[in-house]
Amino acid sequence: MTSEYSMQVLAQLLVSGIAVGMIYGVIAFGYQLTFATSKTLNFGQGEALMLGSLVGLSVVTITGYWIMLPIVLAFGMIQGAVVERLGVRQAIKTKSEAGWIMATIALGIIFKNLAENIWGRDALKFPSPLPEAPLSFMGVNVLPMEVVIVFGALAMMLLVEVFNRRSIYGKAVVATANDRDAAGLMGINTSLVITFSYALSSMTAAFAGVLVAPVTLTGASMGGALGLKAFAVAIIGGLSSGMGVVVGGLILGITETLTGYYLSTGYKDVPGLVLLLLVLSLKPSGLFGSATIKKV
Amino acid sequence: MSVLVATTALAQPIKVGLTGPFTGGSASMGVSMRDGVKLAVGEINKAGGIMGRQIALVERDDEAKNEIGVQIAQELINKEQVVATLGFINTGVALASQRFYQEAEIPVLNNVATGTAITGQFKAPNYIFRTAANDLIQSAMIANEAIKRQGFKAPAILADSTNYGQLGREDLVRALTGLGVKTVAEEKFNIGDTDMTAQLLRAKQAGADVILTYAIGPELAQIANGMAKLGWKVPMIGSWTLSMATFIDNAGANGEGAMMPQTFIQTGNTAKRKVFIESYQAAYKVDRIPSPVSAAQGYDSVFLLKAAIEQAKSTDGAKIRAALENLQTKVDGVVTVYDRPYSPADHEAISNNIPVFGVVKGGRVVVAHEDDIAGDKAVRVKPKN
Amino acid sequence: MKRIAVLAGIAAALVFPFVVTSPYYLHLVVVIAIFSIVTLGLDIVFGYTGEVSLGHAALFGVGAYTAGVLAFQFEIGFWLAIPAAIVVALAFGALLALPALRVTGPYLAMVTLAFGTIVAILINEMTFLTNGPLGISLQKPMFVDLRTWLPFLELSRPRMRDIAFYYVVAASFGLVLLVVNRLLASRYGRAFEALRDSPIASDCMGVSVYRHKVLAFVMSAGFAGFAGVLFAYSEQYIAPNNFSFELSIQFLLAVTMGGRKSRVGPVLGAAIVVYLPNLLADIDQFRAVAGGVAAIAVLAGGWRMLRVPEERLRTAVPVVLCIGFFVFSLMLQKITDYKLTVFGLMILFMVYYLPEGIWGFVKAGLARLMPSPPAAVARGDDAHVWSATAPVVAEGRALLEVQTITMQFGGLKALDSVQLTVMPGTIHGLIGPNGSGKSTMMNVLTGIYTPTSGAVVFEGHEIQGRTPSDIAGTGIARTFQNVQLFGELSLLENIMVGLNHVYRGTVGDVALATPRARREEQAARLRAASLLRFVGLEALAHEEARNLPYGKQRLLEIARALALDPKLLLLDEPAAGLTAPDIRELIDIIRKIRDHGITLILIEHHMDVVMTLSDTVTVLDFGQKIAEGVPAAVQADPKVIAAYLGGSHAEAA
Repeated sequence: MTSEYSMQVLAQLLVSGIAVGMIYGVIAFGYQLTFATSKTLNFGQGEALMLGSLVGLSVVTITGYWIMLPIVLAFGMIQGAVVERLGVRQAIKTKSEAGWIMATIALGIIFKNLAENIWGRDALKFPSPLPEAPLSFMGVNVLPMEVVIVFGALAMMLLVEVFNRRSIYGKAVVATANDRDAAGLMGINTSLVITFSYALSSMTAAFAGVLVAPVTLTGASMGGALGLKAFAVAIIGGLSSGMGVVVGGLILGITETLTGYYLSTGYKDVPGLVLLLLVLSLKPSGLFGSATIKKV
Repeated sequence: MSVLVATTALAQPIKVGLTGPFTGGSASMGVSMRDGVKLAVGEINKAGGIMGRQIALVERDDEAKNEIGVQIAQELINKEQVVATLGFINTGVALASQRFYQEAEIPVLNNVATGTAITGQFKAPNYIFRTAANDLIQSAMIANEAIKRQGFKAPAILADSTNYGQLGREDLVRALTGLGVKTVAEEKFNIGDTDMTAQLLRAKQAGADVILTYAIGPELAQIANGMAKLGWKVPMIGSWTLSMATFIDNAGANGEGAMMPQTFIQTGNTAKRKVFIESYQAAYKVDRIPSPVSAAQGYDSVFLLKAAIEQAKSTDGAKIRAALENLQTKVDGVVTVYDRPYSPADHEAISNNIPVFGVVKGGRVVVAHEDDIAGDKAVRVKPKN
Repeated sequence: MKRIAVLAGIAAALVFPFVVTSPYYLHLVVVIAIFSIVTLGLDIVFGYTGEVSLGHAALFGVGAYTAGVLAFQFEIGFWLAIPAAIVVALAFGALLALPALRVTGPYLAMVTLAFGTIVAILINEMTFLTNGPLGISLQKPMFVDLRTWLPFLELSRPRMRDIAFYYVVAASFGLVLLVVNRLLASRYGRAFEALRDSPIASDCMGVSVYRHKVLAFVMSAGFAGFAGVLFAYSEQYIAPNNFSFELSIQFLLAVTMGGRKSRVGPVLGAAIVVYLPNLLADIDQFRAVAGGVAAIAVLAGGWRMLRVPEERLRTAVPVVLCIGFFVFSLMLQKITDYKLTVFGLMILFMVYYLPEGIWGFVKAGLARLMPSPPAAVARGDDAHVWSATAPVVAEGRALLEVQTITMQFGGLKALDSVQLTVMPGTIHGLIGPNGSGKSTMMNVLTGIYTPTSGAVVFEGHEIQGRTPSDIAGTGIARTFQNVQLFGELSLLENIMVGLNHVYRGTVGDVALATPRARREEQAARLRAASLLRFVGLEALAHEEARNLPYGKQRLLEIARALALDPKLLLLDEPAAGLTAPDIRELIDIIRKIRDHGITLILIEHHMDVVMTLSDTVTVLDFGQKIAEGVPAAVQADPKVIAAYLGGSHAEAA
């Protein structure tokens, strides 16, 4: 093979890696939102993604693509608030470590089972709003939808970040994240802030769900694998960093495709995970996580 | 316990175990199989049952998990005391669980799982039977179709990393070697993988002219879609799972032309098949059977069991096994006419002449080569044992 | 009482296979016992150190595959497989724990998850060793054939084999129960709980958080590996997909549902997760159990409503839920499709109403019904307050020398070229307005911070940059401005964590309960009680530390620090929050400590305390030393007055 061809292959692998990485990244983003306010994670994040995508699938046939989006966003917010009220709030109240883990896992199991019964057990096709023929650019092919995923994910994360920084909610989040008790004393309704962060987190997941579904397929079991990969991405990037997930996602996505091609498709997932272990042994709170100064 | 209502209160119902994944990723096969079995049981019970006794199914969801399969086996054998068990979709679950049936001398009819090792796990007297086309048959057919019939020279194998995919891959490699052909690439992927770029690029780089697959629906669809994305199109030929709705629907136009061995295709080309398809459609309110092969094999497995029990005039496991190995009556099933399908040495009801190639066309699986089912080949029967 | 229960348990285990003759239940009990071994081990990590492990299925798999590979490739059987699997699992446990160096919480959970995934991939891919996805078949060995001896039982060969295997598993389970119980009641168990409640205080008590975390993971891994061998031979077939991520979740669920930090809980939980799928598969049985639970809820709830009328509404909710659940079970025609929803609802119900797990709930109920007799007051005496060997320090030479220490956080210099010399046998006061760098100094001295530049010389050795637990070992103990007790440990146990350094016995001693282990434990108990007596808390010895009033917590911290047998004791605002009589008592205690030859550094805002006690006083302001000398001179120093006036009047008071 000529070197030009192998450059082309490399470019193609990078492009695919970026697309996959952004899918992971946009899901991972949701983990950070709740961790910031309550130091808890929604282990059912993958299921939030799945529900958003399946609701979107049901709605899109009635309303068309663009009207479906706000409906899915609203649904995501409600779903997130439900998760927080039913699962997390009680655990935070009793300061039970295991409680929120179990509760979010339990809700994830319930959502998945309900989805199996409502939408069936099979993977389903999500209609693409864009043509499905690939775009070709100097011999590198990319689906229009992949481009939309990359920019859509970036745009959404940027919007949420701006919202977090500019709005009064964002300030309340920062206050709650720094010291929940003190924020409470300052008159911030911290439990509302936490509920809202869950709503926001599931909203991003639901949005991610409809965004990625034309490429990944949808269905009751779509959440599991993606949710776990996204968890790895959130940890690589650092749970306390907003945009760390973008870098984390790109690292994992690109490592996967490059390993798959140049080494072996069987061991495709291993180098990414080894990289994760390396990152954590050097930077215990992720690449962009701020190491908190121990206060005694 | 959970027993279908027995209409004849006089005789004890005959308990038959029914197990497969009814939740999770391979559930569409499990549910189709289950529904096929229930359809047959309904028909038999309505007609008076077996020797005047009703069949009572004991359904258990194994979730495609080996350890749950093992527990279910114990439960069905020791607690429910079934006379036989139908089912197994996943080769791993079958391999893990069926030793308990073997020890308890209770026959198992594998009606979907295809791993070649399944019927060879134990020496005679062997209680493990099958009504599906095993991987050996399928891989030989795939290799034959690709190399001999269509003349491809550089096959690449894409298989998932589960035991289904990997055992199938091994059989496929052996079949190809038998034809003097070497694979140019053998690639893996995981369940739930959404991007096949690396695998496909490796196959393309190696100069593959056909892709042979051993995987299940969603990932197969990702392969077809991935090829379209890369602007690289070679034919796909693979195991029977290419007929899964999850492949056909999700690959759409990209999946057209994919070919796979089928024991049953949803075309009512005989009266028996027509009736079966129509009653399935009516009973479960669907147009297209989610997995027609699973449904048909499940349906037939009940009638094979019925014939064996009637011949044995007993529900004793050893006697049923002996009857299955020496069935005197012909069983007219939807897949084939079973004429002495088993012998003590041969527990495969499907021989390599029975399946035909299906091809995805217009979103449905149709017969690939019409002359395969022309005339008296409409019902293909296993050569006598 | 306890002995009777144990004997009854053993007797029940012995006769079980002959009472319940169905192989189904025999196998079920074997699997529950095997899972229990994993969950008992997992509880060490999850219940005691408080870390979530998502990698235990992999460790379990490593054990099972060690047995499988030995049998498949080398024809090595059960008995050799057990030590081999335990060793391999221990090694994997260490491998898993090592990158966990400073990682905690969700990060550690991810480390374990990544580890589990990698192991699963390796098992699947390394076909030459593991037979890949095809899996490995094993033959359950016939351990002992008693049929010729017991012909009247008419046992078939497989049944004899199953019964013998059952006994091996039951004995293994009993053994693991015993060892886990011993380990967790020992200094190791206390150390694990201590590092969960306050990692910093653990380190400063010489209990290295890192070492003990690794130890907890390694122990836990050993049990998982052991269980893996039993599992491989019980199922007689293992394949890579047996040991998935979901199994790890199941183990965690088992420990939580059963009840953490107990021996009964993990076993109960294992029984639930093993039996639940079977229960949920059978609608009649499910209805019966739901009905039973509802009946219990009605009885218990009704009783509680009568007893505690003001909480009637709160009590009614779970009762109504239980009844509703029963009604739901009656309405449900087919359970297969919704069984996971039912499972999820059950977990949620537990998170709400049984946050401590089933056993935690039962234990609390039993405690209310039959209040246990007050635990014997720990008996300490004056003879055992101090260690047998008094601290030896070189007279006439500085004990501690802080040489131009600078500590910089970003642009902020919390300490700026500070010099400090502390002479042995003195009380050295360290004062200054808020934010002047006093606590930073404490943290630098105890190794929590590594100074940006400068050196800390203790007894002639530089100690900056060494770990807190290392420094604690050289003889520097401390208390904390924000009290850092081990909340869920009793007062006595808190002090015994500080005594960790006196133990010479190993894990093996504890597991085998050797005379040495018992002797050491006895001695430590006596010493701890004596220290409690020294600070006047002996009456509360068995109380949980978190239930102590604030002032007493500070005294407990001092006693705990003394347990380290320090040469230098750092007290960070010991009088904060104390009442006047308490302060007098505190002054008395500090004097006694000094009289015993222990040098003290005292940070305090109560000026009268500092001025009465200190031999020398150093004043910090904005990270710089502004004055030093005898108390009277410092008090008169205009720079000091200015600093305090510029700061806050209240604090100078």
